Amino acid sequence: MTSVAWPVAGSIRRLGPQARAIGKTFSLSAIAALGDSKLRLLDSALRIVRVVVLLALWRSILGHGETANGFGLGTLLTYTLVGELFAEQLSAGSDFGNWIWEGSIVSKMVYPFTVVGQIIADVAGQWTFGFVSVSIPILVLAPLLGVDPLPADARALFAFIPAIALSVIVGLAIDFILALAMAVYDLAPWLVANLRAAIAAVLAGTVIPLAILPWGLGTIFQWLPFASMGSAPLLIYTGSGHVARLLLVQTGWAAVMTALAAGMWRASRERLVSHGG
Amino acid sequence: MAGRARELTRLWSKYAGMNLLTLIRSRRSAAIEIGTDVVLNVAVVSTSLLLAQRFNGIGQWDKYQIFFMLGYAMTVNGALNIFFGYNLRMISRRIGRGQLDHMLLQPQPFWRTFITEGFMPFSEPSVLVIAGAFMGWSAARLPAGVTALWVIALVANLIASGGIVMAFQVIWGAIAFWAPMSAEEISSSTNRMVLQLGTLPLNVVATGLQATLVTVVPVGLTAWLPARELAGPGGPGLGALATPLAAPVFLILAVLTFRRGLAHYAEIGSQRYLSFGHRR
Repeated sequence: MTSVAWPVAGSIRRLGPQARAIGKTFSLSAIAALGDSKLRLLDSALRIVRVVVLLALWRSILGHGETANGFGLGTLLTYTLVGELFAEQLSAGSDFGNWIWEGSIVSKMVYPFTVVGQIIADVAGQWTFGFVSVSIPILVLAPLLGVDPLPADARALFAFIPAIALSVIVGLAIDFILALAMAVYDLAPWLVANLRAAIAAVLAGTVIPLAILPWGLGTIFQWLPFASMGSAPLLIYTGSGHVARLLLVQTGWAAVMTALAAGMWRASRERLVSHGG
Repeated sequence: MAGRARELTRLWSKYAGMNLLTLIRSRRSAAIEIGTDVVLNVAVVSTSLLLAQRFNGIGQWDKYQIFFMLGYAMTVNGALNIFFGYNLRMISRRIGRGQLDHMLLQPQPFWRTFITEGFMPFSEPSVLVIAGAFMGWSAARLPAGVTALWVIALVANLIASGGIVMAFQVIWGAIAFWAPMSAEEISSSTNRMVLQLGTLPLNVVATGLQATLVTVVPVGLTAWLPARELAGPGGPGLGALATPLAAPVFLILAVLTFRRGLAHYAEIGSQRYLSFGHRR
């Protein structure tokens, strides 16, 4: 009994400082994002105006009672609104590429907790700003905009929680892979980040549900990892997709991308290029 | 006048040469630079493009009118990237990082440096070629048809829209004179506004918001309003003059704001300047 209890107690003791470090990094990142620049509010305003325009677009396209590929107007409005509420989680990305580019990865690697832990804490901290400056205002504005922000039903809400967690895992794994590829192939981080955002904007289905895309593009895109990041959680939330199938595909992509990221990290860690500032 | 034109041409050809040398240093980097530019610019217009194709138009606009607007927006952005690359379009970076000193040190007027230094005719034209072809293809399918007057109105509006985008960038970017660190990336935010809101058909939004988006934040003048006037069934009317008339107002505002910022800069300089051109 004692021989089993000791390792468990040791793990918990080791977990304590790790959890504290992650918590501190989260706080620092959140405070830095909030205090970094009031001018970041411009981006928040842009996101809010953009969602207002997109909602108006759907209203100009579909009338009440009309549907497009099974999506009614109410569902599309909720889809777009919730897509913006969780925009940062549905396209999760980190500063890992910048850390490599600036050379700060060197300091990060000697910190007394894992790089992955630092990435997660940093990303979660940065979300605080978007949550306060965009998600809450949009949620408050939703009734004025005539949009019901609630999930389709309780089952959709419960399934949405693992779905968005899987979405974040896939997103961060892709981010990690691209950052390592950036270092190995000597690409600029802003180029990779912009390219990723541009591709994801079309392939992830966070703005337009994939099923609605012309030329049958959605039937191909729905199987790509980007759909597991953006489209799957939103389909689950709005009750527009097959929950079990969507979660299964997401789990599959999360496993594949995480394994790929871990493999690339092991292979390139020693050859990692610190580009310098 | 002829001397000034000669000097501008000489500088543009110098910068064109440097741009070519940068581009051909490696086939891989050239392919990446050109390829990513095309992907980014097409992705920017993808929402409106895909919706217009799927629903055969958006609101009262048919799909060719939407395509024309998107081609117009891409043409404006493509042309600006050619003439104002190397962070001239993102002027807050130059100001915030103290790199303005490099421009002020040159033995020529600042305005001449500004309009020549960012010239990138070899790494950026792919977007302009695609945009021009797309705009031409959709223009041929517009109800009013293409006439000589229409072409003149189009060119005038394209130049005016480009001027408004640059004025908007400079007006906001000038904040970096007073807040060099926190406003260093403000031009990226305003550029995102132009790219993301400027490619949406704004006729679907409420009048109040529409008015804001053609005055305070003039993204509506960068594609939507000119396209509405040029792609309408009656051909270009008096409305086609709106953007060319608004452009000088925004440009004057930009010059005044920038001059004020420059006066402030002359007094305090930059604490972020490093001799190798990067920032602290």
